[in-house]
Amino acid sequence: MAPVLPLVLPLQPRIRLAQGLWLLSWLLALAGGLTLLCSGHLLVQLWHLSTFLSPSCPFAALPQVALAAGTVALGTGLVGAGASRASLDAAQYPPWRKVLGPLLVAGTAAGGGLLVFALGLTLALPGSLDTGLEEGLGTALAHYKDTEVPGHCHAKRLLDELQLRHHCCGRHGYKDWFGVQWVSSRYLDPSDQDVVDRIQSNVEGLYLIDGVPFSCCNPHSPRPCLQSRLSDPHAHPLFDPRQPNLNLWTQGCHAALLGHLQSLASTLGSTLTVTFMLQILVLLGLRYLQTALEGLGGVIDGEGEAQGYLFPSGLKDMLKTAWLQAGVAHRPAPEEAPAEEAPPKEGLPEA
Amino acid sequence: MALLKVKFDQKKRVKLAQGLWLMNWLSVLAGIVIFSLGLFLKIELRKRSDVMNNSESHFVPNSLIVMGVLSCVFNSLAGKICYDALDPAKYAKWKPWLKPYLAVCVLFNIALFLVTLCCFLMRGSLESTLAHGLKNGMKYYRDTDTPGRCFMKKTIDMLQIEFRCCGNNGFRDWFEIQWISNRYLDFSSKEVKDRIKSNVDGRYLVDGVPFSCCNPSSPRPCIQYQLTNNSAHYSYDHQTEELNLWVNGCRAALLSYYSSLMNSMGAVTLLVWLFEVGWARWGEGRGIHLPLLDLMNGWDLRQAQESAVSLLQTSPQLSCGSDRPKFE
Repeated sequence: MAPVLPLVLPLQPRIRLAQGLWLLSWLLALAGGLTLLCSGHLLVQLWHLSTFLSPSCPFAALPQVALAAGTVALGTGLVGAGASRASLDAAQYPPWRKVLGPLLVAGTAAGGGLLVFALGLTLALPGSLDTGLEEGLGTALAHYKDTEVPGHCHAKRLLDELQLRHHCCGRHGYKDWFGVQWVSSRYLDPSDQDVVDRIQSNVEGLYLIDGVPFSCCNPHSPRPCLQSRLSDPHAHPLFDPRQPNLNLWTQGCHAALLGHLQSLASTLGSTLTVTFMLQILVLLGLRYLQTALEGLGGVIDGEGEAQGYLFPSGLKDMLKTAWLQAGVAHRPAPEEAPAEEAPPKEGLPEA
Repeated sequence: MALLKVKFDQKKRVKLAQGLWLMNWLSVLAGIVIFSLGLFLKIELRKRSDVMNNSESHFVPNSLIVMGVLSCVFNSLAGKICYDALDPAKYAKWKPWLKPYLAVCVLFNIALFLVTLCCFLMRGSLESTLAHGLKNGMKYYRDTDTPGRCFMKKTIDMLQIEFRCCGNNGFRDWFEIQWISNRYLDFSSKEVKDRIKSNVDGRYLVDGVPFSCCNPSSPRPCIQYQLTNNSAHYSYDHQTEELNLWVNGCRAALLSYYSSLMNSMGAVTLLVWLFEVGWARWGEGRGIHLPLLDLMNGWDLRQAQESAVSLLQTSPQLSCGSDRPKFE
């Protein structure tokens, strides 16, 4: 019954371990805090952009899981700092002895599990943004003119502000506006021949024009913005529709939003990775410290050499012990209680 | 005879020393806060110096920066004096410098109060700078091919979009200047020729505004040209239309932004000033700083009280605290 990965820890290395662990725990708490901030920021951005993402897009699950993982990491960091500080002080350690075992189990299971899940989501979810944005932006463009329809009256303002802030126009380019009626029928003069012609020129009876809203305009352009009659080469002096249009934003809002959200997700991913690595280190260090101090019977300043280990026995032995223990609990009068039930069974991760 | 006898035992002295040490470091932190406020204001003014004709006064941010640095220096010096005061030899070295140091502290507090007042009073000069700067900015809006002014169009457009404003006092300011460059005018068109002939300077004036004046909250697509002609647009009345363009002028918008910035900075500086003055008054009122230091040096109690009384009679204030907490 050899302990798994044992490490001999005399007094000085134990003290060094405790001090290093204290530092790492505070770093973990900091990383947990950063994760919380990043995921909070991503949640806020998603809330602002909720009109442009279809409701069925699962992307919002990522910041929520990351929020939970960050909280657990913060808690682990604080516990680690407290425990390693207490392990250097004989008066403060006894209350920690009982609590440390279950806390380690909880930290490994909850914290580790959540972090791995969050990392997995960071890799898998950004792919679903594509379809979500496609649907959402399409709906927003179609409802741009519906400023008096309840439920869609904010679409115009939100889409204009999106195009102004993210420097984009239309879904994939400015020509998307040519295929959508973005001028409400309330502002169309029914007696105007041009209006009537345009409405009759297509099957659905939409008023389609080769113009774009003002929010597509690019302030960096040297000339005042050209928004209307963009396909007509003779409408404006010195303007050739066949040349790339420097007047308007060239990027589509789909690409702009995708880039924006993906960069936020990758920042969150890197913070999660750092937190994960720090958490592993802190949990390992705490386990070694705990088992070493248990070996000395809880005496902090003991000069003896204690052995720290991960698990008191190998995996097979552990499972056998756990199985027999469960069996013992079921049978009221057991005589063959296994000899392996050696005293300190603290913090055995029996999960 | 002693002023305000205070009984001291070891515990009280230790608590007092710790408190004074904390106050000292809080003062240094306050100095850093003032410094960063001044830096922030300077950067904000620099960002928009284009629309202020590069002639805006940087007096307020510069003085905040200087005050912040001086505050840090003085309070660190105070900490150093009190730290050294626990060692009789070093304290003797500092003793002749104490009176001039206290006088300088008084001057510093007066200067800090004056800077606080300036924060609240700079509004007037900023208003006139902004009025001139914006007028010129709008004049150069069309000169996108003139070196040195080619960025003015972009600056004014981004300003109007960000601050939700149009023109100097309102959108009609755009009717009085030619904001479309001659390069983009079709001189063979009759309409263009009419407009150019209609005024003395031969400028192409339109009743239209640039796109950056448009308000996204308007229910109808933005109307930018022929704003005063009701018949040019269906169901449009320019007298009652409110949501189409931004109604604020950029001068008022920028002025309110900078005023609120400087007011909050003035409030923070006032708080810091009150903290500095209040702490010093408290220390003097108790008359404990110097007797405390003398006690810590192991001097005779009567000697300590006499030295404290003589110092209090000659100097108006003390702003010194011990910064070494003793764990005995």
